[in-house]
Amino acid sequence: MSVTTLPTSTSSRTGTARLELHSLTRRFGDITAVDDVSFSVPGGQMTGFVGGNGAGKTTTMRMVMGVLGITSGEVHWDGRPITHDDRRRFGYMPEERGLYPKQGVLDQLVYLGELGGMSAQAAREAVMEHLERFGLADRAKDRVEKLSLGNQQRVQIIAAVMREPAALILDEPFSGLDPVAVDAMADLLREHTARGVPVLFSSHQLDLVERLCDRLVILSRGRVVVEGATGDLRERESGRYRLTISDDAGWVRDVPGIHVVDVDGGSVLFEVEAAGAEQALLQRASSRAAVLEFGLVRPSLSEIYREVTQ
Amino acid sequence: MTTLTRSPRQDAPATQSDERPRRRAAWPIVMRREILVKITDKGFVLGTLFTVAILAAWLGWNAYQAERTSEYAVVTTAADAPMAEALAASATEIDDKVVVTSEVVADEAAAEAAVRDEEVDGWLHREGDGWTLTTVSGEGDLLGVTEQVVRAVTIDEQAQALGTTASELEAGSVVSSEFLVGDAERAGLAQAVGFVMAFLFYLSALVFGMQIASSVVEEKQSRIVEIIATSIPVRHLLAGKVLGNTVLAILQILLYAGVGLIGLSFTPYGSFVSAISGPVAWFLVFFAAGFVALACLWAVAGALASRTEDLQSTTTPLTFLVMGVFFSSFLLDGTAKVVASFIPPISGVLMPIRILEGDVPVWQPIVALAVMLVFALGTIIVGERLYRRSLLQNQGRISLKQAWTTAE
Repeated sequence: MSVTTLPTSTSSRTGTARLELHSLTRRFGDITAVDDVSFSVPGGQMTGFVGGNGAGKTTTMRMVMGVLGITSGEVHWDGRPITHDDRRRFGYMPEERGLYPKQGVLDQLVYLGELGGMSAQAAREAVMEHLERFGLADRAKDRVEKLSLGNQQRVQIIAAVMREPAALILDEPFSGLDPVAVDAMADLLREHTARGVPVLFSSHQLDLVERLCDRLVILSRGRVVVEGATGDLRERESGRYRLTISDDAGWVRDVPGIHVVDVDGGSVLFEVEAAGAEQALLQRASSRAAVLEFGLVRPSLSEIYREVTQ
Repeated sequence: MTTLTRSPRQDAPATQSDERPRRRAAWPIVMRREILVKITDKGFVLGTLFTVAILAAWLGWNAYQAERTSEYAVVTTAADAPMAEALAASATEIDDKVVVTSEVVADEAAAEAAVRDEEVDGWLHREGDGWTLTTVSGEGDLLGVTEQVVRAVTIDEQAQALGTTASELEAGSVVSSEFLVGDAERAGLAQAVGFVMAFLFYLSALVFGMQIASSVVEEKQSRIVEIIATSIPVRHLLAGKVLGNTVLAILQILLYAGVGLIGLSFTPYGSFVSAISGPVAWFLVFFAAGFVALACLWAVAGALASRTEDLQSTTTPLTFLVMGVFFSSFLLDGTAKVVASFIPPISGVLMPIRILEGDVPVWQPIVALAVMLVFALGTIIVGERLYRRSLLQNQGRISLKQAWTTAE
């Protein structure tokens, strides 16, 4: 096995292994739940996986983890087809968060750690460390069913990260968490991207994805409609500028190469029709009045999302 | 820079730590959890203790009944004393649960007063032609013994008066019994022990079976099985689950059998303990093989369901199978019984019962056990495939055909 992993030292030198999906397709009978989905999850980055209900996020993640058969297509890890041993080193958080309701928190996390190949001692230490971090150390002996849903979710994320996984595949890790818990969870995930691990998580909370993610994949009806770095995406989708001056801005309508979308007092929203026209406009504006605001308007992810999924 | 320095730590040791778990089999970890969870489960522990308590109480009551003797005190006047002494002397000989003591009082009034005050149980006195036993109310055992003693003594006296003996008078009038087929008491016991074995098998197979099925569906429903399945081969999960429950079921049955046999030794059937120990040992061996075979099928029944609510329908065939084993243990007879005692899983109960009833050549249980082991192997192979293929599917109930043919 080590023979196959050694040649990939190119990627390990940079500390990042890459997860890639190539034309992944899954059909249930006549229904195509996931249709020719290709994207990559680079190491060291957080990739948000967004889509409406039934878009195919969970199905895709289950195929990546090998718990669901693949109709066609391939999953690659580190530049080669993924193996069961690769997946063993992944941290996975499935959609529902049951765990064993009747078993104690510590006991079952140690059990999952042992199944993942840790010694009982190492598992116990890793679990206690994480429980302390989440302020749950005093609940270690409690049965999972006695915890609140948010705390159950924390326990579940511990199951996914306790082994220092090679990659993290998390299905809706933030749902049901309060803002403080979201921050704690995000910090934890960032620690893992900091050690070069690719993190893929699904979410329907766009503001969250916008805030946390380096990259974004939008899935709609089983197909990838957008993939890219979050920043690039917003720039690319933009092309609109806003200018705000201390005077009425109605005169902008007459400037050549500028298409005004909306004027509201001193504020004007416009599109550039001739390259450089916005710079000429800026010079004219500053000679006429004080320029209070000038810049590209970044659409919110919600706007992009609505646009691409319609 | 951080990534550069961290990468060797992350990559190289990861490959090493990946090698280690492959050498360490996962099924013992699963098995340990199954056992630990169950023996710390109050329901399981209380259920087991309750069964032991019932078993012990039943045996204890039997032993007590057997040991219990009734003591009676009888008074007479001096004139009737010899009859009372004869009664005291031979009462226990006639009924081993009756002990009689006699006492002489001054007169009839004192005797009657003693009975009335319940200081003694009876006053034996001659009245007219015969004898009377005066008691406060009916004392059946005492009366029965007294009747026999009085009759014997009287016949003896009258025989002497006629110049002959009582035995000569009674010659040729005795009826004794003889059993052509075995010993009635032993046959009765065999039937009772056989029923208990069949019932324990039924109870264990059903209770543990349902627990296996529901623990499988619990893992499916909570999706924890997806985490487990990415860590270890599903085969190990099944093996750990089946073996863990089998170990528990066997320990439980051993406990019941131990309590049963030890308890039995304190009852009047104590002399049969050694005779039924052999068949009980056979039963335990058949039980283990039969349990493993059924346990795999129960796990499949759990895997075919997606929610706890589906369990009822996916486990029905197994419930009927287990009930069939139970009923056939006492409904079958003759050739059908002999044939069925080779057919798994019925053989698990019927063969030990036949051994208990006696006259089974030793090759028969060995052949039946071999067939049972082949059957168990078969259910393990088939069950593993069905389990593996249905475990990670969660769109409602899965048919057997779907589970068998579906792609992994």
